Amino acid sequence: MTVLDQTRAPGTTRGPGARRRRSPLGSKWTPYLFLAPAALFILVFQAVPLLQEIYLSFTRTSLLNPTRSEWVGLGNFNRIFGDPDFRHTLLITFVYVVACVVGAVGTGLVVALLLNRGFRGRGVARALVTIPWAAPGIAVALIATWMLNAQYGIVNRLLDAVGLGVPGGAILDSPRYALPAVLATTIWQLFPFTSVVLLSALQAVPQDLNEAATMDGAGRWASFRAVTWQVIKPTVGLLALLMTIWSLRRFELIWLMTKGGPVGATETLVIDLYSQAFDSKELGSAAAIGMVGVIISLIVITGSRLVARAVEKENVR
Amino acid sequence: MRRLRFGLTARIVAVLVVLGIAVFPLYWMLVTALSSNGDLFAERPRLTPDLGRFGIFVDALAEGKAAGWLLNSLVIAVGTMVLSVGLGIPLGYALSRFSFRGKAVLTVVLLFTQMLPEALMVVPLFALFRRFDLLDSLTGLVLVNSAFVLPIVALILKGAIDGIPKELEEAGRADGARPFTILTRINVPLIAPSIAATAVIAFFHAWNEYVFAVTFVFTPELQPASVGIANFIGELGTPIQTVMAVAFLFTLPAVAFYLLAQKYVVSGMTAGAVKG
Repeated sequence: MTVLDQTRAPGTTRGPGARRRRSPLGSKWTPYLFLAPAALFILVFQAVPLLQEIYLSFTRTSLLNPTRSEWVGLGNFNRIFGDPDFRHTLLITFVYVVACVVGAVGTGLVVALLLNRGFRGRGVARALVTIPWAAPGIAVALIATWMLNAQYGIVNRLLDAVGLGVPGGAILDSPRYALPAVLATTIWQLFPFTSVVLLSALQAVPQDLNEAATMDGAGRWASFRAVTWQVIKPTVGLLALLMTIWSLRRFELIWLMTKGGPVGATETLVIDLYSQAFDSKELGSAAAIGMVGVIISLIVITGSRLVARAVEKENVR
Repeated sequence: MRRLRFGLTARIVAVLVVLGIAVFPLYWMLVTALSSNGDLFAERPRLTPDLGRFGIFVDALAEGKAAGWLLNSLVIAVGTMVLSVGLGIPLGYALSRFSFRGKAVLTVVLLFTQMLPEALMVVPLFALFRRFDLLDSLTGLVLVNSAFVLPIVALILKGAIDGIPKELEEAGRADGARPFTILTRINVPLIAPSIAATAVIAFFHAWNEYVFAVTFVFTPELQPASVGIANFIGELGTPIQTVMAVAFLFTLPAVAFYLLAQKYVVSGMTAGAVKG
């Protein structure tokens, strides 16, 4: 029987074999077989730890004795929201995120428009511009710290040379200039990503339409708004959302440049949560701070989806 | 005509300024690595690399632990790349081609993980690692990095498989091929560019990862370069030239690898992002 089967061409005269009786894609268990290993991974390394972290946020737990947790209900949340330092952290987080979004998307748009024109060496220019995005965050933090070094940093030397030097030169130690410096570094690393994404969105802009608008006597700005902006608007919205979420969770760059200092001038939620866990050894409050960040992200995502849906409806009408 | 020429010049200048800003910090890293102490601390620092001092790179690798760090980073990055893409392909396939119970939940979970900061997860993961004896090992870092990059890998690959006409699978199915064979023989070759993109993304993720590495590994010999280089910041013992040389050697492969695969990465990232 088996010998006979093998001599036949596959799938021609096999008849109602076991395999043929199944649904075209195999049994109903097939998808689970495909996804099981990955799902197990995500369950073990993401879902379970997240649930533990949610539990921790309702407890008082010390890093020194993490197995003994005392249930405190909403105690951690009450405490952090009553703490002016935490409100300051929220404010810094807000400023940091908004500035990252505006800075990265705005710079990205300008650079994308600049590189969208045809010129010799455009390919090389596009490749070079992506270098900051490709550089590892750790190396970026290191070179930024060196360039901003109070005594020998090139930034201070240049600022001094034009008479704009920060007194004492210690930009990263100054409560006033540390956040702008960290922001500039962040945006420097992000703008290649936004500009490359916007560049590909710009390919969909009908050039003749832009020209027609200009012919009609519309100024450059007016034709940009009427044509280009309409095409890239969804991409801009998407990038703004991505930048928001990424900036809410960014850690290394800020931590390595300033550790959240001086006097909390660069302390975002993630920095605050890390120092609560590892400096103050308060795992409960750290988890609560982390939850606040996660909830903010969720609100932003849900909100943006609702807005996107409303806009879509508007467009259909 | 005159206005046109002015506009052109302005644009060239603008492009050059942008390129200068983009490239300068890495250029400065190189200049610093290749400067003598005299040049570094002089009233007017040297602005071009002193190519005669190229030996600093060899010294940095030979003397310090830098070579070991980079090797550890490589092991972690390649391990993460293989594991996350290996798990992401079947997951992406399941999400693209099958309808099954729990699919919506799984998709939401995958998107949700994108906003979890590593710093938040580090405490419970530490407890998990201790229980499974994964602390102080490169294996542990490969596992956790794979888990963190897996959702984006799977979503990008799902998008890629969505783009393949289902009819192409019919031929395989008519031959009685199993679903797994259909995936590896028909789909995988067709989504090779996206697989390349996700491989690069996974490699980067692990090459750059810092929080888990600094928390879960204690033995200096097992540290990856991200931790070794981060330890240089705020530490005064090592000459700045050596620090910058090591950082440059850490940055160069990442940038080179990225530039080679850029075309795929960008389309992959945007496709994945659109799903988000």
